[in-house]
Amino acid sequence: MDEFGRHFAESRVAVASLLVSLAFLLCAIFAPVIAPTNPYDLSQLQLADALKPVDSPKVVPGEELRVRVTVANGTATFEDLPEGSVIKAITAEACGEKCLDAGVEPADVDLESLQIRGLPPGLSVEGASKHPVQPWWTVAAPADGKARIVAEGAFPSDVSFLAIVKSAPHETGFVFRLGTDSFGRDMLSAILYGIRISVIVGLVAAGTAMVLGIGLGLLAAWMGGTVDAIIMRAVDFMLGFPALLVGLAVLAILGNGIDKVVFAIIIVQWSYYARTTRSVAMAELGKEYVEAAKTLRLSPVRIMLRHVLPNCLPQVIVLFTLNIASAISLESSLSFLGVGLPLTQPSLGMLIANGYEFIFSQKYWISLYPGIVLLAMIVAVNLLGDRLRDLNNPRLAR
Amino acid sequence: MQQTILEVQDLSRSFRSGRDPLRRLADWLSGIEPPVVRAVENVTLSISPGETLGVVGESGCGKSTLARMIAGILPISSGRMRFRGEPYESLLSRKRDALKIQMVFQDPLSSLNPRLKVRDIIGEAAVVHGIVPRSKIRDYVADLLARVGLPPEAAGRYPHQFSGGQRQRVGIARALAVNPEILICDEAVAALDVSVQAQVINLFMDIKRDRGLTMVFISHDLGVIRHLCDRVAVMYLGRVVELAKTEDLFAAPTHPYTRMLLEGMPRISLKRREFLPIQGEIPSPLAPPSGCHFHPRCPIATQQCRQVRPELREMAPGHVHRCLNAVAS
Repeated sequence: MDEFGRHFAESRVAVASLLVSLAFLLCAIFAPVIAPTNPYDLSQLQLADALKPVDSPKVVPGEELRVRVTVANGTATFEDLPEGSVIKAITAEACGEKCLDAGVEPADVDLESLQIRGLPPGLSVEGASKHPVQPWWTVAAPADGKARIVAEGAFPSDVSFLAIVKSAPHETGFVFRLGTDSFGRDMLSAILYGIRISVIVGLVAAGTAMVLGIGLGLLAAWMGGTVDAIIMRAVDFMLGFPALLVGLAVLAILGNGIDKVVFAIIIVQWSYYARTTRSVAMAELGKEYVEAAKTLRLSPVRIMLRHVLPNCLPQVIVLFTLNIASAISLESSLSFLGVGLPLTQPSLGMLIANGYEFIFSQKYWISLYPGIVLLAMIVAVNLLGDRLRDLNNPRLAR
Repeated sequence: MQQTILEVQDLSRSFRSGRDPLRRLADWLSGIEPPVVRAVENVTLSISPGETLGVVGESGCGKSTLARMIAGILPISSGRMRFRGEPYESLLSRKRDALKIQMVFQDPLSSLNPRLKVRDIIGEAAVVHGIVPRSKIRDYVADLLARVGLPPEAAGRYPHQFSGGQRQRVGIARALAVNPEILICDEAVAALDVSVQAQVINLFMDIKRDRGLTMVFISHDLGVIRHLCDRVAVMYLGRVVELAKTEDLFAAPTHPYTRMLLEGMPRISLKRREFLPIQGEIPSPLAPPSGCHFHPRCPIATQQCRQVRPELREMAPGHVHRCLNAVAS
């Protein structure tokens, strides 16, 4: 094993690809921790954030509140304000004999406008623009968030009006490092979660296909004859179709969903493992240690699993590594074509597909960054698999 | 009559290519008879307990096929085998008793699973078949290792960490671990250096003496056979052509093939001697010659040899051969 590690480390590319692959694995495992937002939480999304370029800040849009205010004997009462609003209260303070300051609490909220409607005759709002017909006064960007209502004569003791408060949009300090997509999703978070999905799909699908393929390959190698012929013709049949076509057909029948994508990839990939396992196992079965095991009357299951399988594993593991990469790219292709994962759980392929429609309007970031990540991931895993294959090839052994 | 431990009667094995049903269908449609290789043809032997039977012959004469059929790991095409009077089919159905026949293989490396430690290689079957409880396996393996002349530390190593001779000792220990009564050695020393060969042969003789093992020793090396065996069977192209006590065979070979083999045997002698290699190649077993298989290469072949298949004839008590024209030399 030490020797194997040393040979592996002789190639810098291989070491780099191993590190990159591990980094992606860590990203996948810790995506919920390191991602700044949860892209699957639809309640966090707001359309105002849609299609923001790289490094743009997240902006909370202004809100509009309509509140009926009643002032009696210098105290203001008002209807309940909606929860979570930036404005917590409406104030009304007398500022002299003939004047009343209507404002908001907290006072430092940035207001876009404050409109007072329905003042009784004789009252007006200082410095406001009046609606040509209606008794509506609008103060644009009021200082301190206050509008001063003045009376021509004595200020009535009871007054009631409608205040329409528009708060200005404000930055939250959160920055979309890789921009947003058309739903206002943070691309960085979406990519991290996309890596998670790709890695899960790659490992689970390739792993299950491997177990299935090894089982059938060993069965074919041991039984020979008709069983072997049936299994291997099924393998030929599967290999005769392009992977993407089979995936499309399976998903067209089953519908969307991560489990269905995994199933489709297993359908596509088991045949590779079955063929490789069978050929390696048949070579191993011809060796004398298998005859020795038969002479020792060990059961066929024991011979295959304990004696033959461990000697087949090196080749199968190489295939597994390469097939992870192809499972990832198949999942992305299917998602790109719109039959893979649901829209609410974007994988890298779906992110690329989403950005595709905006790429000609110079909103390149939606497709570009998931594309780069997908490329890096597949290249890294493939290089890793290539290196393992080289090390496993006795003809290249030094 | 002496009791026999192993009786082989008319044992034959033919190999046929094209087991794949599609291939069979194609052959059937096109009317092609797939070629049949008769690797072993009508072999009849009987072995007494404690005896060592040598089987000798050129490559491809069916020695190893015979060994594997006797070991019960290759199905037979026709014929019968009995172990202590019991038919093989019923013997092999009881796994514990089927262990009575064990085998040592030719290639000391490929006959050991490279991924298992020596302890598992030797001890696995004994544990699986309940010969030794798992808790006692360390001592059991250490005993066996000591028996074949390996240190107890060897148990923790992998096969590739040993030399050829040591590997063969591991292979012998593996066979002994299940207490066999018959040990079949298929070219067990052929892959070893001559000096190591001698050590392993001595080990075989020690084991045989200690355990009273019956052995079938397959080799192409006449010197080894002469040294080790009580009786010798000479095979040519799937048939036993001569069977005799070792001293009789080496002193007075009757079949022309045996005589030519013995003449070709290297020996230490100051006399210059004629060396006549056996003419021609061993014929293809796919298309064996008619009549006596040896007739194309035989110096005393007659017209009759081309047509009549010779049967085993008894020359002297316990000395049989398969030749129409043979005379005692």
